[in-house]
Amino acid sequence: MPESITKEQAKKFYETMCTIRCFEESVKHDFLNGEIPGFVHLYIGEEAIGTGICAALRDTDLIESTHRGHGHCIAKGADVNRMMAEVFGKKDGLCHGKGGSMHIADFSVGMLGANGVVGGGYNLATGAALANKMILKNDTVSVVFFGDGASNRGTFHEAANVAAAWKLPVIFVNEMNCWASTTPYRTTTAVENISDRAKGYNMPGVIVDGQNVFEVYQAAVEAVARARRGEGPTFIEAKTYRIEGHFVGDPELYRKKEETMEIFHRTDPLKIFPTQLPEGVEFTQEELDQILAGAREKIKKAKEFAVACEYPEESEFLTDVYAD
Amino acid sequence: MRKITFSEATREAMAEEMEKYPECFVMGEDIARQGGIFGQFKGLPAEFPGRVIDTPISETFIVGGGVGAALAGARPVVDMHFADFIGVAMDEVFNQMAKVRYMFGGQARIPLVLRAPDGLAGGGAAQHSQSVESWFIHIPGIKVVAPSNPYDAKMVLKAAIESDDPVLYFENKVLYKETGEVPEKEDEVPYEIGKARVEREGKDVTIVSYSIGMKNARAAADLLAKDGIQAEVIDLITLSPWDKETVINSVKKTHRLCLVSECVKQGGALAEVAAVVAEEALEYLDAPILRYGAPFTPIPFAPTLEKLYRVYPEDLVKGIKGVL
Amino acid sequence: MATELLMPKLGLTMTEGTIDEWKKKEGDPVQKGEIIYAVATDKLTNDVEAECDGVLLKILVQEGETVPCKTLVGWIGQPGEAVPGAAGAAPAAAAPAGEPAKAAEAVAASAPAAVGRPAGAYVPATPYAKKLAREKSFELSAIPATGYKGVVVARDVLGFAPAETAQTAPAAETVKASPLAAKLAGDLGVDLSAVKAAHGRVLAEDILAYLAETREKAEAEPAREEVKPMSGMRKAIARNMLASVQTSPTVTFNLGIDMSEMKRYREQLKAKEIKVSYTDLLVKFVAKALTEFPLLNCSVQDNKIIYKHYVNMGVAVALDNGLVVPNIQDADKKSLTQISAEVKELAKLAREGKLPPEKLQGGTFTITNLGMYGIESFTPIINQPEVAILGVNTMEDKVVVRNGEMVIRPIMNLSLTADHRVVDGSVAAQFLQRVKALMENPALMLA
Repeated sequence: MPESITKEQAKKFYETMCTIRCFEESVKHDFLNGEIPGFVHLYIGEEAIGTGICAALRDTDLIESTHRGHGHCIAKGADVNRMMAEVFGKKDGLCHGKGGSMHIADFSVGMLGANGVVGGGYNLATGAALANKMILKNDTVSVVFFGDGASNRGTFHEAANVAAAWKLPVIFVNEMNCWASTTPYRTTTAVENISDRAKGYNMPGVIVDGQNVFEVYQAAVEAVARARRGEGPTFIEAKTYRIEGHFVGDPELYRKKEETMEIFHRTDPLKIFPTQLPEGVEFTQEELDQILAGAREKIKKAKEFAVACEYPEESEFLTDVYAD
Repeated sequence: MRKITFSEATREAMAEEMEKYPECFVMGEDIARQGGIFGQFKGLPAEFPGRVIDTPISETFIVGGGVGAALAGARPVVDMHFADFIGVAMDEVFNQMAKVRYMFGGQARIPLVLRAPDGLAGGGAAQHSQSVESWFIHIPGIKVVAPSNPYDAKMVLKAAIESDDPVLYFENKVLYKETGEVPEKEDEVPYEIGKARVEREGKDVTIVSYSIGMKNARAAADLLAKDGIQAEVIDLITLSPWDKETVINSVKKTHRLCLVSECVKQGGALAEVAAVVAEEALEYLDAPILRYGAPFTPIPFAPTLEKLYRVYPEDLVKGIKGVL
Repeated sequence: MATELLMPKLGLTMTEGTIDEWKKKEGDPVQKGEIIYAVATDKLTNDVEAECDGVLLKILVQEGETVPCKTLVGWIGQPGEAVPGAAGAAPAAAAPAGEPAKAAEAVAASAPAAVGRPAGAYVPATPYAKKLAREKSFELSAIPATGYKGVVVARDVLGFAPAETAQTAPAAETVKASPLAAKLAGDLGVDLSAVKAAHGRVLAEDILAYLAETREKAEAEPAREEVKPMSGMRKAIARNMLASVQTSPTVTFNLGIDMSEMKRYREQLKAKEIKVSYTDLLVKFVAKALTEFPLLNCSVQDNKIIYKHYVNMGVAVALDNGLVVPNIQDADKKSLTQISAEVKELAKLAREGKLPPEKLQGGTFTITNLGMYGIESFTPIINQPEVAILGVNTMEDKVVVRNGEMVIRPIMNLSLTADHRVVDGSVAAQFLQRVKALMENPALMLA
């Protein structure tokens, strides 16, 4: 039985998605203006997945994110001011300016970090699940996000096998956005659906519409419950599309911009949100506009916070290499 | 004083630490049912049910899962079966284990020990005989230890488990069977990671080594003593971060430095010692730095060839006499 | 541009020289032609003159230090001018132009490496040995190497005693003194380490007190002993004499000569306005004898005998502060008057300290005369690398027997010291007999 959704919950979903969208648009603007060092990978168009999954988790549950991790981090509840400061490489950033966009993390909300190595998160999430279930004896659940590109890493096999064999509380969330950097997934991958592989590990594989936050949420709720019951991992494949280039500044020579925009026009999760509302939940356009405006304001403040922050002291350079 | 083997000493360390830390567990291949291929885990599964875990042959999971378990709050010890196999999980070692603390600005704590049996054991050939410590002293964020006797084996392993940083613990396969004096628990002196020990004082030359290399160092010192040459012998014990002060102070006294280890000489762990002494104490050297290690070749199988791979005390004696 | 001061090469065979004395201090003005320093070689001491006007900017080689010829020993330039390649450069490090680069390798290859490396050659030494040498102000190039591959190692430096270096620098380093006191001590030649400091470090007043005290002491009790450094010539004599007795097993042979004929001969010449001394006559007659006894006119090198087909007759000249032995080249081919004139000229130059170095080199035999002091017999020491030396004693009227009758004749003893490595007793005796025969029958000179 799908869980019934309250308006309050739906509002929260929309708010989170708007916050992610505004965050990414702001980052994109500032990156192109040269204010942000390094490189950034945007989550625009995929907001419903992180939002729906994390909404089903407790604060104490753990997520392993990817290089495209801003959305996961916001959805898990990280402070956007400190997130933005981290993207700018500032002292008051979540990682004190040592990680940046690709290594953003907030342990206080169970966000164990974006991973710069594609496919680097499976074993960490699975190991955490092992520790929680078998050693620390609690019901904490781990989630690992990964793209279709990362699904071809061998690390997936080792983690999925162990998770299934020992029925570990870990949820494999595949953001099937059709692109491994510049390579379309069908040119390198034989299976139609990445989740087809779940069978090979004897774990359930579920396909959901990644543009529908409610559908994602329902799948996550079920997977979390299964994990907490000790029944093991679930593979959720959320179908989506990468609207932005692999990174900001990607000339995208491998695809047509019009095609991408056409897809975005049809599938933008913010835009189609009102059409997906469960029965009995309604929003006026004014209400939605207000939520979006609130998110925009919040991110504007986050940017101001980040800009006002200092860069880390030189004395911070050698700290945190070791704990003792 | 009681005498036990190196292998028993590590087993005692494990038992005492698992007793002390309920969140401490150990996983690896063939450690629970078999007790480890060198018997170093014998008896532990019965003593700590569920906390000695036989894994599938999945090195990336063993290491990556260990990192994840540490992130979740456990105190894992993971076993690599043979040090040669760490390469399989190299990303987990140098991009995850070593870096998560720093790149997340100190939010992560990785109290993880990676145990790695290494060295020539007679016919192990190219993939089961290597000493690979030098790969890891190049990586900031992990600590590298390599004890040379049973007492150190125990105390260094205990210190490694108690450390909140990831520690690579290299244990030599030949040394496992060697016995040595190990005091009762109440008389133990804790080991502080990073400290070397002047095992024998002398004035004519400083011989620095660690792990199995210490056998060469000690034997060479004995031979030299017969000719009235007094060698100072230093057991480095920790290779990273290593005890610069003790070595440099000794060189200031003896003015000569001889380095010996079983690993490949080129780029070997002690090359760093040579470089630092040349950088920081060149004016105290009255002879070229002597280095002894394996030739630049994979390890051969045939006993006649394997013999050529080894360093012998006489090599050191000859070299040292040549620069006196 | 500062001008280099180089260790001169005084004559063909000179390879190194010792700074005997700096006549100027750093900072002193110098004029072209003024004497700046004295160089001692194993033969003599020479003054070196400034080649230009200016100021002695820097002394690189201290008194008592021995360096190869053409080594940079100092700089003359304008006041305040920087010394080229300064910053505490090692003195001997300046490479002489055209020095073959192979020199360094040659040194490196010899084990143990000998001192006297070519100037400017890199001295292979361990870092620790270099540190010690720096601390002790030793010149690495002067230290014999015993280390691996001929490298100078710490024990070489620790066991090294520089020949005649007055080690003032370390004393100055270890004694704490005020700048004024240090300057005063330097000006007055006071050893700082001997001065007692009343307040922790030595002050100017401590030095004045020390001087007053030592003066009082000196007046109260004259010194029973006094230590003075040897002059360069004295050191050369000491070194050469010691080397000679350590090299040659010698025997001295004495023989009396009836000088009646010589006296008559000399009178005859005098009557013709030709004045010659007995020394002149000896040079001429001994040179003749030497042409007949090549073993007395040779030198020894390793296991070889070098026969000289010329006679360069050395004549020892006593000076106030020592002696020198200039030689008359090709004495066997020169006339008596030529010899006489040359002996006079050489003696004069020797006393004036103006002997050209080449006159001191290449001797094949030496005559040394102590007759004027009434000496009857002595055992002269060979002037290396010669193999014999003839000592000339006083001439005295003595009663001798001639044809069964006692008669009075002027008798002069000759004392021949010969190197037994090549000159056996019978050879030495026959040579002396030949000299005697010639001098007692001058007509034989023509035979």
